Order: sequence, then structure tokens, then C-alpha cells
Amino acid sequence: MSVLDSLWGVRCVWLRYFDVFRKSIRYYLVTSFTEPILYLLSFGLGVGALVGNMEVHGMQVSYRSFVFAGIIGQTVLFQGFYEASFGAFVRMYYQKIFSSMAVTPITLSEVLWGELLWDASKAAVAAEAVTLIGVAMGDFRPLALLSVPPVAFLSSLLFAAFGLAVAARARSIEEISYPQYLVVFPMFLFCGVFYPIESLPGWLQGVAWALPLTSVVSIVRTLTLGFPFEPLAAPILAAWLLVLVAFSRRAMSGRLVK
Amino acid sequence: MPPLRVSRLSKRYRTRDGGSLEAVSDVSFDVSAGECFGLLGPNGAGKSTTIHCITGFYPPTSGEVLLGGLDVHREPKRARRILGVCAQDETLDSDFRAFDQLVRYATFFRVPVKEGERRARALLERFGLAEKSAEQVEALSGGMKRRLQVARALISQPTVLVLDEPTTGLDPEVRRVLWQILMEERGKGAAILLCTHYMDEAERLCDRVGIIAKGRILDVDSPQALILRHMGTAEVEEEVRPGAIWRRPPNLEDVYLKLTGTRLHGAGESQ
Repeated sequence: MSVLDSLWGVRCVWLRYFDVFRKSIRYYLVTSFTEPILYLLSFGLGVGALVGNMEVHGMQVSYRSFVFAGIIGQTVLFQGFYEASFGAFVRMYYQKIFSSMAVTPITLSEVLWGELLWDASKAAVAAEAVTLIGVAMGDFRPLALLSVPPVAFLSSLLFAAFGLAVAARARSIEEISYPQYLVVFPMFLFCGVFYPIESLPGWLQGVAWALPLTSVVSIVRTLTLGFPFEPLAAPILAAWLLVLVAFSRRAMSGRLVK
Repeated sequence: MPPLRVSRLSKRYRTRDGGSLEAVSDVSFDVSAGECFGLLGPNGAGKSTTIHCITGFYPPTSGEVLLGGLDVHREPKRARRILGVCAQDETLDSDFRAFDQLVRYATFFRVPVKEGERRARALLERFGLAEKSAEQVEALSGGMKRRLQVARALISQPTVLVLDEPTTGLDPEVRRVLWQILMEERGKGAAILLCTHYMDEAERLCDRVGIIAKGRILDVDSPQALILRHMGTAEVEEEVRPGAIWRRPPNLEDVYLKLTGTRLHGAGESQ
């Protein structure tokens, strides 16, 4: 089995998702872009007007710019996780798409790669839309339009892998709510999306840094606002990415194949 | 080499309580080109596990499955190019309309889109679904979904066709249409593996039948040879209702009952 053959299989799966996306583009545009844009408007314009400028890492920055960058992190977290958890559970359990594709010349491994890469692509595009708004409003450096997508894609892949692992372990679709409320929401609230984590108590800062979203938000703020680069962020992100991708694929294969 | 060879296939599962269960044990059979081979057995007999191993979805514990001479577990991508599968469960892709679904599935077999579209149109016509080609799967009746799923199994023009209870839930008329199509595929040289609960279906369609129970194949032969071997030629008495006894020639269900002690469904009964 050559690498090219496997890439062809992954491409087939990715195109299947893209085809579904293309056919229902209005639905996906609304569900993918509405949420981050509402957050941008609400926190960026609403809360931003109240807070004004703030000093972070010795730099003066408007709260609007600060939170816009955080919302890129929120977008990859929510879009990556939800598409791969609830979405993949439906595709695996109800639609049985994984098992029907995996009896063709496409292997289950390729099906799972296709799923993860699609989930990551979709989330990364939504993150790029937020970046575009940030650049258009003068909050981000224009170069962010080129530098954010690779980070957004890898971060989305990480959260999609987490979602896929959750889908693989969930006995019912309701069980996905546990990690949603116990992991995803705490990450959203405590990993620096809305405020610098330095304002948290020391022990909670440690917890926040152990979670991947803090690294994502830190790197995104470096790329969009020129914040100092946090050397630990990239290795933390890489470690989470490798562990979660490997674990999610193993968990889903284990769920489907006896 | 026959298009499908199952050789000493065994499959052992790990159970939730830490033990293990041998779902399939030392199963061997060939299906030749232009042959329809029936696999009969009650629920839990090992039919579906055997099919999952044949499609390469489950790895066998031991033994091998060759599709067109290729080991489906060592070379799944090449081996499965000749395989068409209709699973027992409904596995249609509900995100697509009937026509688009067939075309998309064809691309998984490297069938060019134009050719996939041509085949999809022909199949929908053949299965009496032409008027439903633009319908979403959810809008189709159970029988239509089943037909569409069999049609999808044929989109790659497979030389090995694996059908797991393809006619379950179909009305008698549609069932006959499907039988006709399967016979046409057999006539074109396809090797067909048919799992069914319906004895009349097996007797009518299958050149040979394997009776499986508790993961083991109990006997394999043509339906007529099995009936003769296990039941002889004497008529069978059957009490069809209290006090009403019918005498009839022995059939495959009698063989099945004798070998397994399990009652299967007759024609027209639901599962």
C-alpha cells in the first residue's frame, strides 16, 4: 500500500465532506460563522468599548484587539470539537458512514484521517474569517492572514482529535455533553480568550497552561498582535496534537473494529 | 483461484468481562465465478462476523480471506476493488440524494465521475428507482432504501458481491425483482455470497449453501443435495395448526432445523 494510494483515500473522504458542505453551504455558513462573529461583536465592540486599552506583556493594546485574537482560539476550539464529536458520532453511530466507506478500497485509517482533516479544514476556514475581520478593522497585522491559517489548522486538528476521541468513547450522544461542560467550556473560560491568564491565581495559571487552548491563544496573539512569543506554547501544542491524534484514531478504530 | 476464498477463518473477540468468545471457528468455503453461495444461520451464528472478516473490516484471529487471489487483510485497497457489499444495517449516506450517493460511492472505486453518473442512472432504472434519483435517503421507503443499498453495492461492477440479508423487509414483488437482478449478476459471472434468513430465497437462488451455527459450518452442498442427504425423500408431516397436519416434500428449512435445532423465518415473515 503506497503513500500515494493512502493519500488518494484520504482525499476521497475529504471530498465527500466537502461535497456535503458545498450542497448545504447556506446552512454551514450560518452555523460556522455566526457564532464567532457574534462573539466578536458582543465582546469586541460591546465589552471593548467599556474596557478601552489595557497593558499586557508591557504592550498597550485595545481590549477589542485582545479579544478578537482570543476569539480565533475559541473558534478553532468550538468548531473543531463540535464537528468531530457530535458530528462524527452521528456519522459513526447513526449514519454508519465510517463502516460503509471502509469496505471499499478506502481503509478505516484513511476514513479517520479524512474525518480529522476535514474537521480541521472547516474550523480553520472559520478562524480565517475571524482573522480577516480583525485585519479589516485594523486590529491585526495584515500578515496575520498568512501566518494564522497554519496554526489555526493544526489547533483545529488537535481539538477535532479530542472530539473524535470523545465520540469514540461515548455510549450515547448525550454523553458527549460531559467533556463539553467539563473540559471544553472551562478551557474557553480560563485559557485567556477574554482576559490575560496572568490575572488568575498562580495555581490556576498552571492549570490553564497545561490545557492546549492557552498555547493556541498565546501563539495567535503573537501572530496577530505581536505579543512576545511564549517558548513553551509550541511544544505544549505539539505534544497535545500528537497524543490526541494518535489516541482518537486508536479509540475510534477500537470502537468500530472487533 | 475462485474470486472468493475463505480459508480456515477464525475470529475470537474479547468480551467486556475480560473473557473471549470464538464467533467464527475454522470456517472455509470458496465461491466461484457465476456461483451464488448461501450462508444460513440463526442470529449469533457467526454470519455477520464472517462477512466483516471477508470485507476486511475485522481482522481474523487466524486463517485468510482471498478476494481475486489477494489477501483482503494484507492488501485491502487492491483486494476490495472487486468487492461490492450490501450490509445488513442501513448504511446509506443520508447526506446525499439517491443519484449523488451512487456517484460519490463510485469514486471510492476510482470510477470517473462521468462513468459513475452513467452507471448510477442505469442502476436506478434497473432497480425501479429512477423517479427517486433526486430524493434524499430519508424520503425513501424502507424497501426503496434496501434496493438503493443493493444498487450501491453494484456501482463498481464487482466480481464478488457480498449481500447480508438484502431482502429483509421487502414486499414479495420487490423481493422477486431483486432476485432477478441477483440472477442477472450471477449470469454475468459475479461470485455472490448471500446471507439470508429466508429458506425459500436460499433454495431458489443459491447453487450451494453453507449452514452455520455457533461459528462453525455444519455442512455445505447444493440445497437439493443437502435435503437428500439429511432428510431423504420421504414426505414430512407438519402440524400447521392444532389438528391440521400437512404432508409435504422435505425442504431446506427441515435440513436447517435438523442440523441446528433453530427455527428460521419462512417467506414473507418479518425478522
